[in-house]
Parts: sequence; structure tokens; C-alpha cells
Amino acid sequence: MSLFPPRTFVDRAIYHDGQTAAARRIQVEVMPLEKLLVLHLDDGAKLTWPLDEVRQVPDLAGKDQLVLRRAGTGTERIIVANATDIGLIRATAPNLGRKDPVPQKGRILRWASAAVGAVALIIFVLVPVMADQLARFLPPEGEKALGDATLLQIRRALDETGFSELPICDSRKGTYALRQIERRLAANADLPIDLTVHVLDHPMVNAFALPGGHIVLFRGLIDEAETPEEVAAVFAHEMGHVEARDPTRIALRSAGSIGVLGLLFGDFAGGALVLFLTERLIQADYTREAEAAADAYAHSLLLAADLPPHGIATFFERLQDSYGDEPAILQHFLSHPEMGDRIAAARAATPAFFEGRQLLTETEWQALRAICDRY
Amino acid sequence: MTEGQGPWAAGKKLDTSTHRSPWPHAAGADPSPRVTPQDDARPRFSVPPASGQLATGFAGRRGRLFGLAFRTSLLTILTLGIYRFWMKTRLRRWYWSAVRPGGTPLEYTGTPIEKLLGFLMAVVIMAFYIGVVNLILMFVSFAVLADNYAAYLTSFLGVIPLWFYASYRSRRYVLARTRWRGIRFGLEPGAWGYTWRAILHWMVTILSLGLLWPRMTFALEKYKIDRTSFGSVRLHQGGKWTMLYRIALLPILSGLTMVGIGVWILYLDPIGPMVPDPFSDVRQLGPRNPERIWLLVLAGMVGCVGIVRYIVQSKAIMANHKTAGGVGLIAAPRTGRVLWIYSMGYFLTYLCMVLLMIPLLMLLGFYQLGFEPDFGEGPVSAIPEWVLIVAGLILYFSIFLTWSVLRHPLVTLPLWRHYAETLTITGEAELAQIRQRDRDEFSEAEGFAEALDVGAAI
Ligand SMILES: [Zn+2]
Repeated sequence: MSLFPPRTFVDRAIYHDGQTAAARRIQVEVMPLEKLLVLHLDDGAKLTWPLDEVRQVPDLAGKDQLVLRRAGTGTERIIVANATDIGLIRATAPNLGRKDPVPQKGRILRWASAAVGAVALIIFVLVPVMADQLARFLPPEGEKALGDATLLQIRRALDETGFSELPICDSRKGTYALRQIERRLAANADLPIDLTVHVLDHPMVNAFALPGGHIVLFRGLIDEAETPEEVAAVFAHEMGHVEARDPTRIALRSAGSIGVLGLLFGDFAGGALVLFLTERLIQADYTREAEAAADAYAHSLLLAADLPPHGIATFFERLQDSYGDEPAILQHFLSHPEMGDRIAAARAATPAFFEGRQLLTETEWQALRAICDRY
Repeated sequence: MTEGQGPWAAGKKLDTSTHRSPWPHAAGADPSPRVTPQDDARPRFSVPPASGQLATGFAGRRGRLFGLAFRTSLLTILTLGIYRFWMKTRLRRWYWSAVRPGGTPLEYTGTPIEKLLGFLMAVVIMAFYIGVVNLILMFVSFAVLADNYAAYLTSFLGVIPLWFYASYRSRRYVLARTRWRGIRFGLEPGAWGYTWRAILHWMVTILSLGLLWPRMTFALEKYKIDRTSFGSVRLHQGGKWTMLYRIALLPILSGLTMVGIGVWILYLDPIGPMVPDPFSDVRQLGPRNPERIWLLVLAGMVGCVGIVRYIVQSKAIMANHKTAGGVGLIAAPRTGRVLWIYSMGYFLTYLCMVLLMIPLLMLLGFYQLGFEPDFGEGPVSAIPEWVLIVAGLILYFSIFLTWSVLRHPLVTLPLWRHYAETLTITGEAELAQIRQRDRDEFSEAEGFAEALDVGAAI
């Protein structure tokens, strides 16, 4: 005895032949043994669909209907609108939910690699080359505006409440002390642009340079430094980046890349992406050559200003001893394998029996350390 | 409510055609429709249609749509956005199949793969445009104007033509992948023609201070409709642009009133305290008649309602003047209902977002308070940085998820349902004459629209 009666009629079905917009009431005969679906049209004609070729149209909103099609790209449709009949079809058609095979796999792969290639070419070759060229022609006022915009973006990204900007520390005495360091170094440098120095009220041990002569120190860095000379050493290194216009290139690059990556990942990841790229800007992923040049610049500048170049070496060694490689600034300075060499180079740049001139008085140094205290 | 009753309303009801909807319960041909408990989403009709007319039903349930939207959005996040082509396709299939003119559901036959392919094609071109052009614009605006707003503005203006172009192409793709009664819709190529017309009409509308807005609405719709086909039949947009003034008057007049009040309370009889004139005896005593500001608010509110009414009813009026051979439409959406759906829907969506955010923000705030001293003391904080990053990401994505998921059951579905249930198709007898049309391959699919985020509704 068979599980199903050999012939079952599904009465309430509508047939669309895919050739005209007419809707025809039909009887559908389900023949499970012969594995056939026979459609009896109103004009007496008969059509036969193999049961294993019957598919349902997916993601239908109304569960009171079942829309059937034949495997492949045909336009014929049968609409069954009765719970019993739907149950019968579901029980007898074995491949109802199967999907048609994807026809253009090779084509998708080709276009996917073309898209990845194009984006890689643009982000890693075209945009950097153009940014480097354009950075040279950007006039100082333009660079300044670019830096102002970037600084604002960074302050917004780092603010923990998410609603305002990270405050700038500017106690009167602290700012005066900071100006002492800036003057001492700038007097011996020949920068193409005036410096703008800010301390941001953030615990991260970090410092970075932005386009237009912006140098930004975080409160965490000043807290960790034991002498003003250590701050000056970091300061001089960032001046090296300003002199070489490294931040301008990075900012122009990220302007080109943000849009392209946003395009790739769609709208939803766009916000996360901007945060990520801001992070990249702070970490300032310069090339090895750029870092070496900034180091060399800093060494000669510090010597010219009667300050010890090894300040940076003692500072980093102490940080490394207490925290490992975690602080952001160590990432900035330690990202290359020859970091040991760089510490050694800083020591070597300091002549034997080096007698520096005092940078800040003890009072000024304490004022600098309290630059973020409002009261 | 006489609004939205086109010329077809009276004429076609007299149609003596004996054709009925194929569905017994749709046209009432079967006196005793079988009702089973499983029939949970039977078509609902607000008005029993006259003979030769097909009412449109809507068969979707909020709960199911929520489930579909939630699953697909989550997958989109987990696959870094790649699943969004599947998400969009599946949601479209769902919405299309929920709409049932004459009991027969629409069918969306677009595939995720062709959308992915079209997107990849667009990326090759757009990545170049966005990367290089943005960089140059940014450079020029900083170099020449020392400001980046100019770059945003030029970049934005540069994208406008592409936006119109993409929206037409996207419409062409969607129509080519839409079927009803097994017959394909189609839209002729003509994206550039649409683009320059749209730009000109927008400029004319802006220059005429909005007075020629109805002309733009009508002309752009006519351009699209006159190029649209259902099977072998070409659609036609009848009527004239002046017929839209009946509903355009309210928003235009309230806009002009607002300008008038603005001039009055800012220049003619300023509301604010004037700079005291030391040589004058007259003393300023604070703002004068500040209650006049309420006139501005009132005119603004009337204007907003007027704009929604214009958007809803201009669609209806134009729908009532659309024909496809002997087939016509009667659309009667209600402005009040649409306003209600929008305001309640968005209110509930935001409410859910806020309720979800509170515990997450409290958790983050708790961490901050509890461990703040460690932050101050040194760079190694008590919470590893990754915990904060993960918490931030969860926060960001749950906002995204809530928004993109709740919008569907709370706003989009009720809107579709309302527009569907107030739509009637006339001249059913003519449908049998309509033949199939060839498939429009259109391999670019919606690539550009996808890249530019055009038509973000579904
Ligand atoms: Zn560096």
C-alpha cells in the first residue's frame, strides 16, 4: 500500500503560463508514484511537471499561499492557496526548497579580483603617490586648515562621552613652561611653518604631529616623563616629522582612502572605519626612513639647543621596564626591529661629558606637569 | 475623502465586464470560502471591488518581517557587510510577495549574486572616482580656500548627477526583476536623459522658490512612467502638471507665509533687543512681542503637514492618471494615516533604541567610574583596551541593528500595507491581452545605486 493515494486533486490553484497576464483556474493532479504533477487547464489541455523539478518561490510573506515554479528560469507559476493542498505539495515534492545553481561563478571571481585589485591599486599606490606629490604643493595656510580639521576630528574621536571634544590643557603657568621648551628648540630649527603646540587631557602616553605645524602631547606622556629633557626629546622628534611634512602626506592619504573603504564595506561600517583611520593617524604609521630621518633631525636639534639627545632613550627604557611594549608611544617608536639600534643611536649622539643647559626650572617643570589642572 | 479619486473612479465602476478575480474570496464568486486555522494571512480588502476591478491585498505579518530583518541584518554584520546583497534581496522578495493585486502576489526575481556582481563592477569605477577625485578636491579646497567645507560641497555637487543616474538605473533593474501574474515589468534605458532633466527641473524649482515644484514632480514621473512597460503594454502617464496645484498650494503658501513672518519679525519690526543708542532717549525694554515667534512655528507645522500631504496625494493623483492599455489604477491613500504611521513608527523605533542603549551605556559608565584612578596613574589600565573596543563595537552595531531592523515592522510594513490596501486595478478584462516581454539582462544590476546608497528604503 502506498503512502499517498495515486491521484490527488488540488483544486484551488491558479496557473500563470508566463506568456500572457491571464490568470487561469486549474486542477492540479499530484501523482506521487509516477513522480508527476499534471496540470489540467480550463480548456482541457494538460501539462506535466516532474515532481522533483517543482520549486517554491522563497521568502513568501503570506503563508496561506504557495507559489510554485519549475527549476530553471521559466516564467510559469502555479499558486496554491489552501492549507491542505499546500501540505500535500510539501509532502510530495522532494526538492521544493532547492535553489538553482549559481550560473556565473567564474565571472564573479573575475570581477571580485578586479575590484580588490582596483581598490588595492588606488589605496596602496595611487593615493599615496598622489598624496606625496600634492603635499609638496600645499601652501602653508592650506596645511594649517587641514591640521585644524584633523585635530578637531581626533579630539572628537577620543572624547569618551562621544558628545564633545577632548579638552585642551592650558593652565597659564603650564603653557608658559611649554612655550619655554618650544622656544628653545624652535630657536635652533628652521621650520617651514610656525608651530602650534597643544596638550590634550588624555591618559595615553603618546605624542604626534599633524599637518600645519601642529604638535600634540598627551597628558599621559607628561605624567610619565621624569625630566623636561625627556619631553623635549619627544618634542624634537615630532618637529622632525613636521619638518619632513610626514603628517600632511598621511592626512591626504587617509582623505583618499576613507571614502574608498567606506564604499567597499557599505554604510553600516562607515562610522567604525572613520574611528579606525583616526586611530591610524594617531599611531602615525610612518615609514622606517621617515622615523630615522625624524630621529636624526631630533638628535642634531637637541645638541644645537644644548639638550641631551639620550633623553628619549632613558624615557623609553623606563617605560618599557614598567609596562612592556604597551604604551602607544612605544608602538610608535618601537615598531621597527632596530629599535634597540635607535636607543643606542640616541645614546651615541650624546657626546661624552655632555654639559647641557638647564631647560626648565623646577617650578616651571612642576607647572608643566600640572598643565591639565584647572584650579 | 474625495482626494485621490481619479477619473477612473466613476467611469470604470460602470464596467459591465464579467471577469472576476481568479480568487473566490477576492471577488466573492465563491459563496463559502474555505477557512482553515492555518489560513493566517488571508488577503484583507478594505472596499469590495466592483466587477472588472481588482482590489489589492497585503499579506505580511510584522512578527515574521521582524524575524527576517533581524536574521539577515545580523548576518550582514557578521559577514562584514557581504551578506547585505542577500539581505536586500530576501527583504524585497518578502515585501513584493506581501502585495497581492487581485489576490496574486508580486514576485521579485532579482538575485543576490547579480547584485554582488553589479556592485563589484561599480566598485572598480567608483573607487577610482571617490579615491582620486576626493583627494584632488580636498587638496584644491585646502590649497585655495584653506577650508574643507568647500571640498565636501564640491564633492557633494559632483555626486548629484551620478545620484540621479543611479536612481534611474536602479529603478530599471528593480522593474526588470518584478513580475505580476508571471509577466515582467520593464523600463527602457534613458538614465542620462533622466539625469539632465532632473537637474534642470531642480534648478527651475529652486529658482522659482518652489512655485514650479508640481511641474518637476509631474515631468519626472511622466518621464519614468512613459518608459515603463508591463509585459507587452506600455504605461502612460496622463493628466497635466497643473492638476497637482490643488495639493501644492498649502505647502507653497505656508512656505511663503514663513518667509513673510521672518521678514516681519527680523527686519521690519525686529523682535530682538536693539543695540542701545546712547544718544537716544528711547530705552529698549527687552524683546518686543516675542509671542509672534509662534506664528512662525504654526506656519512651519502647517507647511510640514502640507509637504507630507503633497507627497502622498501627488502619488495618488498621478497614479489615477496612469494607464497601461485598458488597465488603470485607483489609488486612495490617506494623508492622516501616513502621518500617523510615520510619527508612531519612528517614535517607537527611537524609544526601543533608547531603552536598549541605557543598559549598555550604564555598563560602560560603570567601568569608567570604577577604574578611572588607574587611567590617571598610568598607561596600563585595569580594563584591557580590547574590552573597551569590543564594548564600543557592540554599542555601535546594536544601534545599527536596532535601527535597521525595527524600521521594517514599525514603519515600512505599515506604509506598504496602507498604500497596497488603498490601491485598486481597473480593466481586469484587458489583462489577458498582455503578453510577456523579453528579459532585460542588465548585468550591472544596482551596482551604482548600491555604491552611492541610493534608495536606501529596502
Ligand atoms: Zn615618529
